[in-house]
This record gives sequence, structure tokens and C-alpha cells, in this order.
Amino acid sequence: MRNPMRTLLVVTSLVLALGASAARAHAFLDRASPLVGSTVASAPHEVILTFTQNLEAAFSTVEVTDGNGARVDQGKASVSGNTMRIGLKAAGPGSYKVNWHALSVDTHTTQGAFTFRIGNP
Amino acid sequence: MPALRASQTFALGLLFAVLSYSEAFAHCFVGARFFPATLAIDDPCVADELSLPTISWEKTADMPPASEWDASAEISKRITEDLGISIGDTWSQINHPGGPKMAGFADLETTLQYQLLKDSDHEFAELLGLIVDWGGTGASNSGIGTAYTLLTPTYYFGKGFGDLPDQAGWLRAFAVTGEIGYQIPSRSFDVVQQAAVPQAVPWGASIQYSMPYLKSEIQDLQLPDFINHLILITEAQMTTPAANNFGNSWVTTGTINPGVIYIGGTYQIGLEAQVPVNRESGHGIGVLGQLHFYLDDMFPQTVGQPLLGPKTAAAQKPNF
Repeated sequence: MRNPMRTLLVVTSLVLALGASAARAHAFLDRASPLVGSTVASAPHEVILTFTQNLEAAFSTVEVTDGNGARVDQGKASVSGNTMRIGLKAAGPGSYKVNWHALSVDTHTTQGAFTFRIGNP
Repeated sequence: MPALRASQTFALGLLFAVLSYSEAFAHCFVGARFFPATLAIDDPCVADELSLPTISWEKTADMPPASEWDASAEISKRITEDLGISIGDTWSQINHPGGPKMAGFADLETTLQYQLLKDSDHEFAELLGLIVDWGGTGASNSGIGTAYTLLTPTYYFGKGFGDLPDQAGWLRAFAVTGEIGYQIPSRSFDVVQQAAVPQAVPWGASIQYSMPYLKSEIQDLQLPDFINHLILITEAQMTTPAANNFGNSWVTTGTINPGVIYIGGTYQIGLEAQVPVNRESGHGIGVLGQLHFYLDDMFPQTVGQPLLGPKTAAAQKPNF
């Protein structure tokens, strides 16, 4: 068993070394404000999404809709580094959905959606 | 020595593949759902990935049971956006108590796969594959390889439950995957073993609970970061004899594998127990572990692109 295992170990180490030097990855949503699935007492002024990778501004977007599907965001997201933010119009109590698409700087696309509520926690 | 030369050749081949190909992208994302590479069965996507190594230990169904170690490697590469190929091999060592020790390579396995469907809204993926275990390429003298080839057309699927209503809450983080095939040997009778070579139905499934999905799509419970990288999983891997099984048992054999997969940025690590479903499947609980690399993340401009055709759907502006 020794020789094949040693070969595997050597190849694995080389791949690890190669990968570590070049690695970037898909942009996962790391945290959001308001928090994913949370209930906040008052309407936030903006939604902030922080990702695990830097984003390409031209191809990364977010929209926020109310329970009737009407947009309540201010239309243009701003992207800086790994953070995307979008302003909100005045919003009342209810459930809101955040839909986002992200393109990381190494051209990997990801997407997702979550809800938050405005009301009594 | 022949086994050693084969392993070195395979290792060099893997390195050559990693270093030389140019173009490709994407492991198994379907909408917001990420299906990890499963350890016992295959995930429902073509991809640019490398499993290196997958190592397992188990006690065989023999009486008395033998101790078996397997170490394998597999590389998957997309040819076009929807067409991919995998090449892999397994080195096995079987120790019979008080008896002979057998070791060698199993037959070389290749898989051609075509992505039938990726439905982002419903987190649903379908894949067709043709697995070929090439007879005569393994250690057939020790019974680890075979002298005949096996052809196994296989259907794979994956379904995430993120499209359930919001009221389903944490249940939306569940997903299932599965596969079913029909294994056809190139010979109906093994002259060496003096036994019929059965046709069989290999099938399997997994149920997964994604902590990353829970955190980013349903509710951020602000759990420790390590927990938020875990996918809890139970896999089942079975084989049911179907035809030409004269003189053999008709019992379905296989294992059920509870375990966990840690999702890193460019890799994943999986660890599962292997629980035999009956006496014909083995004795006691085995172990299965795997280190798996996402080549599209490690080498996004080279290995992580398809060999042919457009460079993936990366630069498509969303429609809102």
C-alpha cells in the first residue's frame, strides 16, 4: 500500500499548492443587513450584502420587493469590493424579499434570495 | 512493480490534466442551491473537479471477513458547457485474516456525462451518463480487476427544496439527489471464476441539509462560521442483481452512509460512516473520506473553463 499511497500524497500536495497560489471562488453571501430571515422594528434605509469574494460592479445587482411584488428599492445598487448595497424607499410593516445576482471578479456567477420583516420582533 | 508504474502514470496524467488544459467553469450550482460532490454516489452536474483522494476502509462480507482499504482518484472535466468526462481508478488492498493479502488496481473507469437540465427556479438538475469500467486494465489476476468490461448507462437527478413556500422555513434547506443505472457486462460468463456475470441495477440516493443555504436563504442564526460551512448528509449506495445471476444471491447489497461535508472556498472535505444494509454487504461499520477540489475555482481562466465552445455563461447581466 505504501507506494500508491505515497504517490497520492505527493499529487494531492502539489494540487493543494497550485490551488492555494491561484485560488478565488464563487461569491457566497456572507452576511446581510438586515439579517437573513430577521424581523426589524423599523424600516432600514438600505440593504447591505457582504460576499465572500469581491464583485464585478457591472454584473452584480439586487432588488427588494414588498409582499405584493412591488419594488421598494431605489433602483441602482452600488458595489464596492465585496459589498453591495441598495437604498430603500419608505417601507411600512410587512415582509420584504431581497433578490440578488453576483458576479465575482473571477467570473463566477451566484444568485440568491431571502426575506426580512418589518414589524414587532 | 506494474501496479506502481500504473499509479505513477496515473499521477502524472492527473498533473498533466491539471496543468495543461485551458478553458471552463462551475461546479454544481442550480439557482441558489449548491449540490456538493457526494462521496458514495455522483452529483447531478457536469463539472471541473478533482477527487483526490477518496479513501475507504471496511470489513468485507466474506466469512471470516477480510479487511479492505481502497484509495481512489477521479478527475472530471467539461468538454462543452453541458458535456463532460471523468476518469478515475481505485487501488485496493484486501487482507484475509490468516490468509493471502491481495492488492492492485481496479479497472480504469471513465464516465461520459450530459447535462439534461438545470432549472434554477426549482433547484432541479438532471444528468445522463455512461460509465465504462474497462476490462483488463486492472489487477484481474488478484480478482480486483476483471477481464470483462462493464457498461452502465445511468440517470442522475438533484432537487433542492428552496422553492417551497416561505412558511416551510428551515425545511427549505433540504435537498435530495439520486442515481439509477443498468450495468451490462461485455461477457455473460467469467471463465476464470467459472461463474455467470450478472447484469445489475446500481442505484443510490442522498438526503442533504445545507447549513450554508440556511444561513444565506432562510435565516442567519449567527452560528459559528465552521457550522455555516457544513452540509449534513446521508447517502445510500445499492446494487440489485437483475439478470444472468445464476448461482448467485439475488439479495440487494449496499451501504447507508451518514456523514458530513465541509465546504471550503476551493475544496470540500467529506467524512462518512459506511453501514452495511445486510450480511451480504459487509461486516461492521466502515469509513469513507474524501478531499475534493473545485477546479473551476482554483483555475477559473484555464482548467475551470470548458474545452470547447463559449467561455461559460459568466458575463450575463441579470434581468433586473
